[in-house]
Amino acid sequence: MSRMKPGAFQHHPGELSANVVRFCRLLRAHGVLVGAGEQQDALRALARIDLSLREQFRLALRISLTKNPQEQQIFDRLFPAYWSGESETDQHMGPGQAAEPDPRVHRLPEGEAHQPSLSEWSAPEDALDTEPEATASYSPLEVLGHRDFSQFQADELPAVRAAIQQIARLLAQDLNRRYQQVRHGGRVDLRRTIRYSLRRGGEVVDLALRRRRFQRLRLVLLCDVSRSMDLYSQFFIQFIYAFQHQYRSIETFVFSTRLHRVSELLRRGPLEKALEELPRRVPDWSGGTKIGQSLHRFLQDFGPRYLSRQTVVLIISDGWDTGDLALLAESMARLQQNSTCLIWLNPLMGFADYQPTCRGMQTALPYIDVFAPGHNLHSLHQLARQLLHIRLYGFRRHRYPVVYRTPEPEERLE
Amino acid sequence: MPHAELARIQQMLEEQLYVPDESIVMSIYLAQTLNKPLLVEGPAGVGKTEIAKVMARALETDLIRLQCYEGLDATNAIYEWNYQHQLLHIKLAEQENKSIEEKETEIFSEKFLLKRPLLQAITHESQPPVLLIDELDRADEEFESFLLEVLSDWQITIPEIGTIRASHIPHVVITSNRTRELSDAVRRRCLYLWIDYPDFEKELTIVQRKVPGIDQQLAEQVCRFVEGVREQRLAKVPGVAETLDWAMALVALHRTRLDAEVVEQTMGILFKDWQDMRQMKGALSQLLHQVGVKTILTPEGESGGEKP
Repeated sequence: MSRMKPGAFQHHPGELSANVVRFCRLLRAHGVLVGAGEQQDALRALARIDLSLREQFRLALRISLTKNPQEQQIFDRLFPAYWSGESETDQHMGPGQAAEPDPRVHRLPEGEAHQPSLSEWSAPEDALDTEPEATASYSPLEVLGHRDFSQFQADELPAVRAAIQQIARLLAQDLNRRYQQVRHGGRVDLRRTIRYSLRRGGEVVDLALRRRRFQRLRLVLLCDVSRSMDLYSQFFIQFIYAFQHQYRSIETFVFSTRLHRVSELLRRGPLEKALEELPRRVPDWSGGTKIGQSLHRFLQDFGPRYLSRQTVVLIISDGWDTGDLALLAESMARLQQNSTCLIWLNPLMGFADYQPTCRGMQTALPYIDVFAPGHNLHSLHQLARQLLHIRLYGFRRHRYPVVYRTPEPEERLE
Repeated sequence: MPHAELARIQQMLEEQLYVPDESIVMSIYLAQTLNKPLLVEGPAGVGKTEIAKVMARALETDLIRLQCYEGLDATNAIYEWNYQHQLLHIKLAEQENKSIEEKETEIFSEKFLLKRPLLQAITHESQPPVLLIDELDRADEEFESFLLEVLSDWQITIPEIGTIRASHIPHVVITSNRTRELSDAVRRRCLYLWIDYPDFEKELTIVQRKVPGIDQQLAEQVCRFVEGVREQRLAKVPGVAETLDWAMALVALHRTRLDAEVVEQTMGILFKDWQDMRQMKGALSQLLHQVGVKTILTPEGESGGEKP
């Protein structure tokens, strides 16, 4: 085990705490959530270890200051430079820069008018440190809500992203809620029942009822990532990412010519890593589309495990299919049979004069329960409401798909 | 002295046949001395639960475990009234001339209380126990916020009895498999430890310690193989527990080397998902090749020919 340079600071406890405080500030500037509590824990921890052992010192700080693997990575990057006394850190933490820099400043991608690509979302994650309260108003929806996802400029992306995450988070919260007041039915509340029975000499006559427990809604998401969907799929992926982090009963698959399961990838790492990794894991990313084959694959390999009467299947695709149409029809029929509700989101529906005329869409249409656009924040919001409704009241099938179109806003730039 | 205590924890871990690294030892030490809950995260099957067991042993105290699951609520976590018992008591006391109020106080007394883990931990006598809250990510968010309240106040209110305050604040270990993110509030209350799958060297040590009598070369092959498996995209990545089960099975079959045949026969121990199983069958020969096992189908006589 390497020893710290003698005289580093073990003889100057005051200097040590000042350095720790400064290090905490550096971590904060890089997105680690270090509050007064963590800082205090770190100082308390240092009082209880052998300061001359560098490894002990490092571990004590790491354990008390970081709270998830992403933060640990940031810590591991910053620690060596800072505590070796190299000047790199001084630049960051010059006296004039004591205040936290506005994280948005360097998060903006450089290019202006170009279409955002997947990797540009790999900016440092601000999902966690954006306080929900800060974005909890409807303003992003009002301002950006009706604009088609393909129309955003690079500098608007952080706001869009925050709004997407907010919608996903609220949806997850609502779907996770387990109880709902009911007048009839429900479970017996034994505690109150016993109490009632006392009045009747121990005879159980009146049952006290409690709120009913809801089934958790299961979601299966099949997202088209072929080239024609490029502009939209990245937004969905973010939506799914944020959603999946708070909601367990969801499985995510992406497809273009083949089907890939990506639930684990989205659940595990930080967003930036997932976004980097996805196209690499999925060799036919931005390729052609074979919807029928992909859905068929899903039914074969994963259907029995994930489909049930509590499952809502969500397909996100523009319906441009170069594959086998008979197979598409057959798979759609089976998907519909084995789910509560089959929702198809088609971003092209955002265009006022869209008609589902392409052959893939035509084939799939008879089996769709809900047909909606999902091309802007507003329609994502609508989708969230729809899911919540299904969860609370169930879904009754009609002979024709329920078609949603977002109301035309006046300032629409079409 | 930190040194002595760190060494003691290390030794405890090793006595439990746990192969610790410095970060684990330090986490346990700091959680104890700072008296903060320790949040342990990592994939399934890397020995997160063991941490709590070792802590209990190191502190020579009891381990109280709360297993979380979907739908876990306060009744199952804190306390419940023993309804059958209460009903019986009411029946038996029918003849007694007591007022309803008296009867009520009687049946809602501690005698009829079923203590669940959280209440047990709070009312534990003599010394603070270790409270293991296992797989908190499986419980609902409501339970999480409720737990947060308990963890900060260390008191529980039972309407019929009153408020019970903790006599000793328990040592808390929370584990999570990250099927969903725990809230920041929970994270910030805890010290944090991330345990990943062990690297080859560490896993080899674990196998050698826990599977007595395993052939050295077989142990190496097993660990290399599992290492390769974890790089595949699987729904259920095998943990250390699976490695150990597999190694033990191979020893029971008197194997000293891996070969394609025995791997196929025993695959069910490593893979718990038929989709994974199918995928791995396809990748088997390549993986075995990496481990250094010849995969060209050998004539009958050779495959079993190396039995001791």
